[in-house]
Amino acid sequence: MNSYAFAALAHIQILVLPVGPIPRAAFEKYAAEIRTFDSIRLGDIPTGMKDERARFMPSPLSSGYLYLSYPSHPAPPRHISLSLFRPSHFTLGIIGVAACSSSYSLASALEQFENTVLDISPEGSTFPLAKVCFAFEDEESVGSTGLGHALPGIVSIPSVMGNKKLYIGTLLADLCSHILAELGRVYHVLESPVGNEYLNSALFPTLPSPSEIPLSLSFGNLGYPSYSSQPELDSSSLAMPGIQIKRSSTAGPGVSHTASLIQRPSTLGPPGVRKRASAVGAVSSHGRLYKVLGDFFLLAGRTEDASLWYAEAIVLFKTGQDPVWHASVLEGMATVFVLDAWSAGQGLQSSVSNSGVKEPWADIYEQLTQAIALYHKAPVSSELSQDHSLLALTYCTAVMRQTSLLFCTWSTKGWGALAFASMLQPGSTSYMQKTTSDSSWTNLERISTVSGVSRSQIANTVSQAHGPWLLHLGSHERLTILQSMASIYSSLGYRRKEAFILREVISCIMDLIVCGREENDLLRKSDVGSAGMGNRSENGDEVSIVGKGAVGVRRNEVLEGNQSILKLLVRACKVLGIDLEAVCVAKATDDTSSEVGGEDNNGSAVEDLDGSADAAKESFGWPELQVGVIREAIAVAEALPAPDPLAVARISLSALRTMHSVLASTDQYHLYQTAGRALAAMRRRGDAPAVEYWAGNPIASLVLLPLALHRLPIENPCSILTAKSSATNSLLSGIIDPFLYNPRKSSGPQSKNLIVQGEPIELTITLRNPYVFDLEIQSISLSTTGVEFESSPISALVIPPNTLYPITIIGTAKTRGTLVFRGCIVQAPWGAPREFLLPVPTDADQNLFARRRSAVKCESGRTKYWGLDSRPWEKDGRRLSTLLPSLKKPPQFLQCVVVPEQPLLRIRWTSLTHGAVMLYNGEESTIRLTLENISALPIDFLRLSFEDSTIGPAQEALSEGELSVFETYETEYDLLHRKAFSWRNEREITNILPNQKVVLSVTCVGKVGCAHGTVHISYSQVSREHEEQMPASEVFYTRQLSYPVTVTVYHMLECHDLSLMPMVDVDYDDISLRASNSVIHLLPEVDDPAEWCLFAIDVRNTYGLPFEVTFEREQAETESAAVSSTVPPGSMSRIMLPVRKFRLPDNHISQPIPTLSDRQFVVGKSKLSIEEEQAQRELFWYREELLKIVSARWKETNGDRHGDLSLRQQRLTLPMLKALRTDVVQMDLTLIVDSPDGSPQELDYSGGKYIASPNEMLYLRVEVVNPSLSPLVMTLDLIFDPAEQVLSEGVSSNIAVGKLKPGETKAVEVPLCFLCTGRFEIGVEARIMGALKDSRVGTSRICISVREDG
Amino acid sequence: MSHHLFLLSPSDTPIYGLTHYSTKLPQPTSSSLSSNLPTWSTSAFAGTLTALSGASSATQSHHVQGGSVRMGGGQDRHVIQMIANASLDVIEDVMRKESAMYLKSVDKFNEWTVSAFITPGNMKFILLHETKNDDGIRSFFHDVWELYLKTMLNPFHTAHSPIRSTVFDTRVRASAKKYL
Repeated sequence: MNSYAFAALAHIQILVLPVGPIPRAAFEKYAAEIRTFDSIRLGDIPTGMKDERARFMPSPLSSGYLYLSYPSHPAPPRHISLSLFRPSHFTLGIIGVAACSSSYSLASALEQFENTVLDISPEGSTFPLAKVCFAFEDEESVGSTGLGHALPGIVSIPSVMGNKKLYIGTLLADLCSHILAELGRVYHVLESPVGNEYLNSALFPTLPSPSEIPLSLSFGNLGYPSYSSQPELDSSSLAMPGIQIKRSSTAGPGVSHTASLIQRPSTLGPPGVRKRASAVGAVSSHGRLYKVLGDFFLLAGRTEDASLWYAEAIVLFKTGQDPVWHASVLEGMATVFVLDAWSAGQGLQSSVSNSGVKEPWADIYEQLTQAIALYHKAPVSSELSQDHSLLALTYCTAVMRQTSLLFCTWSTKGWGALAFASMLQPGSTSYMQKTTSDSSWTNLERISTVSGVSRSQIANTVSQAHGPWLLHLGSHERLTILQSMASIYSSLGYRRKEAFILREVISCIMDLIVCGREENDLLRKSDVGSAGMGNRSENGDEVSIVGKGAVGVRRNEVLEGNQSILKLLVRACKVLGIDLEAVCVAKATDDTSSEVGGEDNNGSAVEDLDGSADAAKESFGWPELQVGVIREAIAVAEALPAPDPLAVARISLSALRTMHSVLASTDQYHLYQTAGRALAAMRRRGDAPAVEYWAGNPIASLVLLPLALHRLPIENPCSILTAKSSATNSLLSGIIDPFLYNPRKSSGPQSKNLIVQGEPIELTITLRNPYVFDLEIQSISLSTTGVEFESSPISALVIPPNTLYPITIIGTAKTRGTLVFRGCIVQAPWGAPREFLLPVPTDADQNLFARRRSAVKCESGRTKYWGLDSRPWEKDGRRLSTLLPSLKKPPQFLQCVVVPEQPLLRIRWTSLTHGAVMLYNGEESTIRLTLENISALPIDFLRLSFEDSTIGPAQEALSEGELSVFETYETEYDLLHRKAFSWRNEREITNILPNQKVVLSVTCVGKVGCAHGTVHISYSQVSREHEEQMPASEVFYTRQLSYPVTVTVYHMLECHDLSLMPMVDVDYDDISLRASNSVIHLLPEVDDPAEWCLFAIDVRNTYGLPFEVTFEREQAETESAAVSSTVPPGSMSRIMLPVRKFRLPDNHISQPIPTLSDRQFVVGKSKLSIEEEQAQRELFWYREELLKIVSARWKETNGDRHGDLSLRQQRLTLPMLKALRTDVVQMDLTLIVDSPDGSPQELDYSGGKYIASPNEMLYLRVEVVNPSLSPLVMTLDLIFDPAEQVLSEGVSSNIAVGKLKPGETKAVEVPLCFLCTGRFEIGVEARIMGALKDSRVGTSRICISVREDG
Repeated sequence: MSHHLFLLSPSDTPIYGLTHYSTKLPQPTSSSLSSNLPTWSTSAFAGTLTALSGASSATQSHHVQGGSVRMGGGQDRHVIQMIANASLDVIEDVMRKESAMYLKSVDKFNEWTVSAFITPGNMKFILLHETKNDDGIRSFFHDVWELYLKTMLNPFHTAHSPIRSTVFDTRVRASAKKYL
């Protein structure tokens, strides 16, 4: 920022030039050595001249300094008009640096130096005032160029010289002395009336051509040398009116009238100028002259003189005629002030006390403000655009000067020595960078507080320089101004303003590049000088100006410039919230890049997953601006001199990646196409793929498609090989889990994915395209670890816009073991492949994700960080990382167990058509399955299991536990003993050799409610000889072949209304009417009605065909008997079958109702009393016994289909039980009458009743038998019905029988007499002595018909 | 003479923008510096540069005689947004130190003066104007604030979602007409 140093007005600019063939490094070294001299003490300047050249020479004992600066290039030729207005803008001295060797003589060096100086100094320019060439001797050429001193204008510096630096200092002082002398001569010319006319001729006048100078010099002596007056001025107080008058009167005498009058017509240049000059005329004041004098004194380091003359100039400019020059004087005065302050405070490190109310710099600031206002308002009378340009430049420079005042004060923490130093020599103090390097708000604000300068003040000041007038400036000046503005904003921490200016800087540079390209040839001829601008670096921002000439020629592609421009772009875009580097450049280009990427992106890929989850993330920034900036960035990257397709692609892809939510669809298309073009260009150039995969996370999910059921291996413990099949348990307790929440169940190993070695598996990858264009993907492959996995990579995919797009990958695991699918490796067209991990979230992870998501959602409405702090990459780092713990466990991936090769069976043939069976209820049928082993492995393990649709509901009912004990038993019985499917492996089929076929027969029983069933055939190769070396594993794998069967069961016969009645009650006539015929012939075998009971049941045919029903009785001690009946469709018949009564032993019926399963935890829910429970058990056991005795079958009347008829739905009631059960005590009642012969004889018995006559004495004989094993003591009760018409002797109740031993029989006789005719009943009940009233142990009954004729 | 109003959310996203053309005449701010600009015809970047430096509006005002409405579309709109965005630097700086809601003429850039109004919820209303109209702008800002608060009463409206309410728009326009 040399050109905008505050004190640039006091700087003598010296250009250091390379001369001749000098290596760059050597030149840099020597130039750096020269540049270390940034000031020279006035006392060191040799003063030997006595004429007008001595005017600006320092007085011998003066203590000031000359300030030197070393610009890298001379002022452009179009600034020549400023030469009198602002001499400090030009290079006053030129130093050539040559390296002399034996081959390169001093003379040739001098010649070349002269030529170069002629080249770079514009024609007609006053400057440079002095020049010298330093010839540094090489080491090896010592002595050969010894005559160096003979040549004027070149100084040779021998390599043997010890303290070169001192010598160079002396030489520089010499040069300065020359410059000062020349300044004196220039002033001498101006001093003359002609010179003054020139000075006042235009806004920015120029000096007469150099050819005239010697001429005027000859007259110059006549002018009164003001040098002589200096001591007098110094002693007197400033701004003394007398001196002013004296100056006005003595300094402006038109002494050299004659000479200048002669010269004028020939030298004044264009007539227009001359006319104007004459218009200003001789009356023109000497204000400008004094100003020039002040400028020269300032350059010469004599600040007292400078301020003196400036003061005089101000007086003359007060009239407002010449605002520009007036303003310039103000600038100069400001500089003088600072220089004075500097020299006053030199050496003191303590800052000048600023206890005053006003800031010490306020005056200077005011002065500069005034100057700026004057510049701003200055009328441009001239039509020349030149004047516009120069005025704009002066204006901007003044603004920058004012800014620099504030900025230096601010950055050095206040008004003090450091501030002065940085104003004088901005390059020499690195202090500024140090203070502003920490750009946190607190630090910057602290600096403001300390220094008393607020940042907004600086920003407001510097923003004055920005305006349309920038266009007036030459491109280089514009660039410099913008660049220094940007760096000031940057130091202030005003990032957005910096971005604004940086955009201008970029467009400025790009403008140059584009213009340079177009006007290549033209420029090469004319702009040789400026082509050497090269790369300049400024503090912080590396702005590289690519030389115009180098652009089109492209001799060598220097990429530094490009990179710097791109860096600027990225910096500007970051401020607006766009990360142009979101898409990384692939690092390695060899084939291991996928591996490297996988390791490196481990975290990022997972984070991407999070990112996609946080869709609620709020956006940052100004979408319209962002889109505009991105368009511009792409245009810039495309227009760069050496086209950089990588940058173009990167920018457009980054934009797509980060901003696709705000980009319009046309923009997305455009960006995508641009990137595609750029990548295609790279491909043409043969570059390696260089862009990482960019389109977010394209993988939505990775799913292992389940194997087809018949291929799926199932893990089994080896123990089932030895144990017998325990199907009962599994069937009954299949889904029983007594706990509502079973922690073991969930924490147990998750169901493993089993895949078979050598068999293909399918994976579905769901890809996601959030963009509006077709997203192309060059290839996708799976990334796996563990077992070797072979899959075909999928190439050249196109995902339609805004969709999820599933693809299927088929692959094969080569060996057994564990296979882990980490994710996918995706490669965009001509990009580097990148791995995306797809962890399978565990519960904890999901919990964490959910918490994180809710945390983000919770914060989304609030703003903790705002402004630039809320840019996504700044915010996320702070917010989410602190808010939530990160995942501790390594991510889990999709895992598969590869099991060894398995045999494969298939069902070759079945006996069923369409897999359907139609059965009558209870019918049994056989399904034949032909299996074929189609693998190369033998099968040595074969198991069948079945399931049908009745099992599920039954198991559910069981597990609910709401059933009573009895119902539970029924359900369990149904499940266990009446399975719909069963397999009796008669032939013991276990081995199936490769390509062998076997036939299995499965029995299928029709069971109402069964709609479908499945036959599962599990098979495996268990013994593998060739894998002996493998450790015996705990598990083996089977495959299962399932054969679904559709079952239709017709429910055609229903049993109803089971009844058991004592045979005694049976009305035979009735029976013959109701029962089927077949029962009749069974009746005779009923010898004793008391011993038998009659089993009767209704069978209804609900089907359309007649069925013959057969009930069979198989009872011990009796012959088997069967009753059959044909039940016509739609009708019902009652089947009767006599059944002999029986009695179960007490210990049998007291057993609880068993459960067929080994279930535990069966809580008795019944609220039954003991007696009720006892009764229930009794019913249960008698029913069981009855169902054993009686079985039913059916047969199709017109066919041969047959089956069982289940009676298990029938319930036994208590009366039935009584009818069925024999009593404990057998009682036999007989009526005996005394025969006429006196011997007792049994009464007539026919049709199940006794026939007696009324009023006849009878004996009722009760025989009691104790068949039980224990002695019984009992009493008898007699019941007569109707009791009034019966006379009996003795008591009729509690007749003591006495103790009956086991097997003993006792008889009791009771005389009685029937008093009338009719039907009587006599019953007898036996009771155990002392037992409860209703606990009968035996009853008996007889019916008596009393008739007159009997 | 035009005014540009932007309502910026704390993440610098505009949720509402208004360009208002006032019937008042702009004060002629003639500076010889910005007159007589060179014509640019070289490249696209020159256009950007022209616009960014504010030259296009200057030339426009030069050509269009006073009184007619100056059009601020296209590239200009972009530049105005850039200026509004850039002024956030100063606004953020000032608002940290001062508790005032209304920041009068907080920033100047090119020909634009930037005034700002910061709600307690950290919403920033930014107004770009060319002339001084202190009281008018203050009243305008207070009107907009009230309207904004009424919009925010909507429970479905978050601080970051753009305001698309036509009622809001018409009322802001009416207020702008009244005060600016």
